[in-house]
Amino acid sequence: MIQRLLPFVTLTVLFVGLAIASPHFLTATNLSSVVRQTAVINIMALGMTLIIISGGIDLSVGAILAMGGLLGCMAMEKGHPILLGVFVGVLTGAFWGLVNGFLTTRLRINPFIVTLGTLGIVRGLTLIISNGLPVHQIPREFSFLGEGTVLGVPFVLWILLACAVLVHMLLEHTKLGRYAFAIGSNPDAAFYAGIPVAFHTTAVYGIGGMLTGLAGMIEASRLMTGQPTAGQGYELQAIAAVVIGGGSLRGGEGSVVGTLVGAFIMGLLSNGSDLLGISPYLQQAIIGAVIILAVSFDELRKRKVVS
Amino acid sequence: MLLQLQGIQKRFGGVVALKNGNLSVDSGEVHLLMGENGAGKSTLMKIVAGMLTPDGGDVLWRGQRVSFRNPAEAQAHGIAMVHQECLLAQHLTVAENIFLGRQPSGPLGFINRRSMEQQAARLIEEHRFPLQAGWIVSKLSPAQKQLVEICRAIQGGSSLLIFDEPTSSLSESETKEVFRIVRQLRERGTGVIYITHRLDELRSVGDRVTIFRDGEWVHTCPLSELSTEELIHHMVGRAVTSIYEREPVTPGPELLRVERLSRKGVLHDISFSLRAGEIVGLGGLVGAGRTELCRALFGIDPVDTGNIVIQGKPVTLHNPGEAVRAGMALIPEDRGRDGLARQLPISYNVTAASLGRLSSWGFLNLKSEAAVTSEYCGKLRIKCSGGAQLAGRLSGGNQQKVVIAKWLAQGAKIFLFDEPTRGIDVGAKVEVFEVMDSLARAGAAILMVSSETPELVQVPDRILVMRQGRMAGELPRGSSQEEIMRLAALQESAA
Repeated sequence: MIQRLLPFVTLTVLFVGLAIASPHFLTATNLSSVVRQTAVINIMALGMTLIIISGGIDLSVGAILAMGGLLGCMAMEKGHPILLGVFVGVLTGAFWGLVNGFLTTRLRINPFIVTLGTLGIVRGLTLIISNGLPVHQIPREFSFLGEGTVLGVPFVLWILLACAVLVHMLLEHTKLGRYAFAIGSNPDAAFYAGIPVAFHTTAVYGIGGMLTGLAGMIEASRLMTGQPTAGQGYELQAIAAVVIGGGSLRGGEGSVVGTLVGAFIMGLLSNGSDLLGISPYLQQAIIGAVIILAVSFDELRKRKVVS
Repeated sequence: MLLQLQGIQKRFGGVVALKNGNLSVDSGEVHLLMGENGAGKSTLMKIVAGMLTPDGGDVLWRGQRVSFRNPAEAQAHGIAMVHQECLLAQHLTVAENIFLGRQPSGPLGFINRRSMEQQAARLIEEHRFPLQAGWIVSKLSPAQKQLVEICRAIQGGSSLLIFDEPTSSLSESETKEVFRIVRQLRERGTGVIYITHRLDELRSVGDRVTIFRDGEWVHTCPLSELSTEELIHHMVGRAVTSIYEREPVTPGPELLRVERLSRKGVLHDISFSLRAGEIVGLGGLVGAGRTELCRALFGIDPVDTGNIVIQGKPVTLHNPGEAVRAGMALIPEDRGRDGLARQLPISYNVTAASLGRLSSWGFLNLKSEAAVTSEYCGKLRIKCSGGAQLAGRLSGGNQQKVVIAKWLAQGAKIFLFDEPTRGIDVGAKVEVFEVMDSLARAGAAILMVSSETPELVQVPDRILVMRQGRMAGELPRGSSQEEIMRLAALQESAA
């Protein structure tokens, strides 16, 4: 039980520690900047949680994020309304998610390989479509998505909370969520129980893609450009958030709350290092070490449960 | 004596695999080791080959007490084993596998490929095996892989060779070739231990025979002094402790009919039927095709020809989903692998096959789920702290009940139980039989695959016996263990 709570304890200790160590930490400006910085990874990580629980992995989310953001911005550049632009971004993500799901289930290729492939394809296509150039001609009001505030709280936090509640509902209160756990925990048992494994796996990748598309629009709004090179390496951060939060790459384990905590631990580590003047080079090493530590503790705990 | 085993004991967790293992083998002797499934033969031989360490007893090798910590130590003493299951490196060549771990190498440690391949080719040539040194093992047939195992074992010039049911996957001519090799080894003065439970094939090779039953030594004598009847008697002379008495039920309408079902190389011309209220036993040796039959009936493996008729309607099942909708349930042999999601709560497992009923518009009705879970946990007396407990934390018997509960909740009519009592204790076994009985009384039809002949004579209403992918015969309730064994093991059956 203590070990299960470890991510929460870590987050709290980190929060309190930073509040004591730096006078600039507990300020509205700093905290909302932490929220804005982590929201993109956080929303992607929610989708990744679903995928990892079902026993899969998606390495293409960084590339999908870029294409979603780019196509959304291009729609707005052509004069379409902002909402339609966001819709285009989300739809782009959903499309590639479904492609990933389809390839893993129908062609029975390992998802690691499939998404490594689509990572290249999507990134390449994004660069071709944009000719390698960012899209700038987008309406000013679009910046509200990433930088606006509602009731004194960053708008992205509201979006994040809404997504978190939805994904949590999906996992704990729907057939799809239940099947995701079953498939990830024991795919043979799920198949023998008559569960349509391929359909539900594909759906999970599709939802993951949708959330990534949305994250792409938020990223574009924060940069106020559609960047074809956006999101490089984000897939690893999203996976790290899920894993720090107790998700298992062997499937069948993970939770929305855990993932949020995992993403915020990484966000605080990087924000704290900035505030305390720790070199950004060292930051990367610290985050890497935290990932390994978190997973080691989790493995120790699991070995006690199921063996 | 080359090898002497005295009072060997071995247990795995709470399960005693060997209580009293005795065996002695001389140089130039072919010693048959016989017994039913689970008699402890393979465990004993794995101890000799250094794959397991005994909990008690003595292993004497050429009169000296030895204890092998790993297979390499046993091999260094000249003991080699040909395994039943294939233990080869799939992506390497035949020659590389034969010499794995003892490749001829030059002064710098580089493997001398040419010498290795020549030696392998010579060995293959000598025994006229249908193999080539350069072939990749993953592309070989099961029989050819078995021959590679044999080459590997005889290559080192061992003084004791153990064959663990080497012919179960071989054709007749390949079997003859194995026997020829065994005779050849005997002439060279090698000791051979040959595990088998097929009675028909052994007369031509063996000198002496030792019979095991329930992890205990039963009898050793020259093969010529033992009739087949006596042999069967020793093998199954297991006390039928009457652990369960079942009142026969008058069967109702036919729920499942299987007509001439065939799957190339696995199932041949299988026909039988199950009626409501019936428990039908399915006996046979390991590898007789019983699990394969269950898999085919449940839509996991495709069938080539034949019909499956469920409640009068012919069906074609492409996947388990269709089988479930047609009213079938499979409680698989390896429940940890195929039946249970161990890291998930009991409730998730119990309702996994019936979420369609427990949800609307994709949203789960968690209250009805909890109700269903506690209903079946109560009905099946699953000992747990509640529906939220992880399934993997339950005992073997209770895990089995969770798998059964999944199908009860789903409302299946035809149950395929594949070895339902494997690895669970006697008390839990009785409870599983009681569940099966109450299912049958409620109008379900049950096929019960079992390797435990005492169970087969006690529980089912009638007993089907399979042998080498075919239906060998059917026995009525009240048949003896000997009759089952004879159908299962003898080529020229009395039937």
